[in-house]
Amino acid sequence: MELTVDKRWNLIERISKETVTFGRYRHTLKDAIGELTVKPLMGIPVAIAVLYGFWSVFCSFAGTLCTDGFLVKLFDARWLPWIQANFPGKGSWLYYILVGDPLADNCFEAFGVLTSGLFVPFGVVLPAVFIFYLMLTLLEDIGYMPRLAVLIDTVLHKIGLHGYAIVPTILSLGCNVPAVTATRILETKKQRFIMMTLLAIFIPCGAQLGIMQEVIPDTMGLVLLYLLIGYFIFGFVLNKAIPGRCPEILIDVPSYQMPTRRNVERKVWMRTSGFLKTAVPFVLLGCLVVNVLYLAGVISWLGDVFSPIFISWFGVPKATVGPLIAAFLRKDLAVAQLSAIEMTKYQMITSVVLVSIYFPCVATFVMMLKEGWRELLGSLGVLVAVVFLYGGLLHLIWTLMGVG
Amino acid sequence: MKVLLMGHPNVGKSAVFNRLTGANVIESNYPGTTVDYTKGYMRIKGEDITVVDVPGTFSLEPKDKAEEVAVKMLEEEEEGTVVICVIDSSKIERGLYLALEIMERGYPVMLALNMWDVAEDKNIDIDVEKLRKIFGIPVIPTVAISGEGIGELVKKIKETRPVEVDKIIKKVGGIDGTNRR
Repeated sequence: MELTVDKRWNLIERISKETVTFGRYRHTLKDAIGELTVKPLMGIPVAIAVLYGFWSVFCSFAGTLCTDGFLVKLFDARWLPWIQANFPGKGSWLYYILVGDPLADNCFEAFGVLTSGLFVPFGVVLPAVFIFYLMLTLLEDIGYMPRLAVLIDTVLHKIGLHGYAIVPTILSLGCNVPAVTATRILETKKQRFIMMTLLAIFIPCGAQLGIMQEVIPDTMGLVLLYLLIGYFIFGFVLNKAIPGRCPEILIDVPSYQMPTRRNVERKVWMRTSGFLKTAVPFVLLGCLVVNVLYLAGVISWLGDVFSPIFISWFGVPKATVGPLIAAFLRKDLAVAQLSAIEMTKYQMITSVVLVSIYFPCVATFVMMLKEGWRELLGSLGVLVAVVFLYGGLLHLIWTLMGVG
Repeated sequence: MKVLLMGHPNVGKSAVFNRLTGANVIESNYPGTTVDYTKGYMRIKGEDITVVDVPGTFSLEPKDKAEEVAVKMLEEEEEGTVVICVIDSSKIERGLYLALEIMERGYPVMLALNMWDVAEDKNIDIDVEKLRKIFGIPVIPTVAISGEGIGELVKKIKETRPVEVDKIIKKVGGIDGTNRR
């Protein structure tokens, strides 16, 4: 038999009367901290501090300690000269594909499958992804995320989303792939579309962040700021342009918990190894494809064809066409490749922004396709418009500033 | 045999799932981590049992895509499927709402009163024996994160059975009357 809602609650009331006794509830310190961090007055400064802490640990651990302090030395001073000297057939196409430039003195510029192809995922991206997931897992297991969701709710409503959209957004900073699935926690089609489109376009993944930190440490802040502003501008536009509802949410804010070591270890391991499994083959493949295309002359041909767009519309050298092809497979690889191209600081900013907002990487693309091809086509339409308008806008800004 | 783990978001279904199957599903302290179902397997006395971690849902009337997945999973099930309702013991009344909805549709059920430690901390005292008598099904207190009660849960899976809601109503002395808050 099926009960009505009221009768069901009546029945629960009866059952609970007979079986549950609610003792006196003591307000604990944990509750007090829980409430403080969710009320705007204290909560917002705490949120800023938490995010800033997150950021600085990310940079100092991944960039300064692991990559610069240890792995760069290992790859550039030991591995690269060794393989350049010992790999047979210098000057052959195989040498060019696997080792790359025989005169390169660092693993960013060599761009062989066995040099940059290994250095990018293991030397730069792995430490970044590891520390990102470790900190994300801690924030998750402590129970901080729903509080962040509450605090940011008002802002996200302006772009048609609600506080909970912070979950896919932050997940996306690790990898866009699980973030696409996480958009399912949003209620309406409109919200899911907005979220998916925004994260595919504007949110750089952990791998990309790690590599940017290494390649353009000084201007990375500007790139991220530009992307963040784009996230809100285009979110605002999409919210106005797309029909549909954006309901309010009621969420349960769980109490804080001490993370258990077992769960943290397991989760970080699962996520990091998941990254290795999906990313490494694509990075290697990306190096291979790009090198083959270079050798076959396809890239210089594409460069010539697209050079009017590159040079006059975006204001970047036509050589960036190579990285843009690599960006379809892996964005981290593309950024690494950009670093080897001769250009001004401002052109570099534009190129990195272009790599970020242009096409999602192939893994994300497949995930988006799974969520629905109509949405995917819609997102791609938005993406093309964003690349031209927002990418072009950057060139305009540089021109107006007199540095373009 | 197939076991579905169902319950509200953030009550520890994934933790129970990981304990039962030894699989690795992401567990987090916020609702909505599981948005797609995950299958795992366990063996009880030589029989392979499929365990499914279903996305959290507040009721059987879905409001987002993850909940749709949950309800669809339940509705598509064939014979021999049982449901373990995972309930946050510190919010037992809400959990029972979903449990009753599932019972009303005639599925064989048992209850896992998870986060038992949290209920104890909050001075909430639950008479498990009496709950068992009222529902006539296994009711097991668990703390999935530390593994407490999981062995008991496994032992009692075979005792899962459909519950006749009108019998419960009789046992608690009817539901008409004015005892609503």
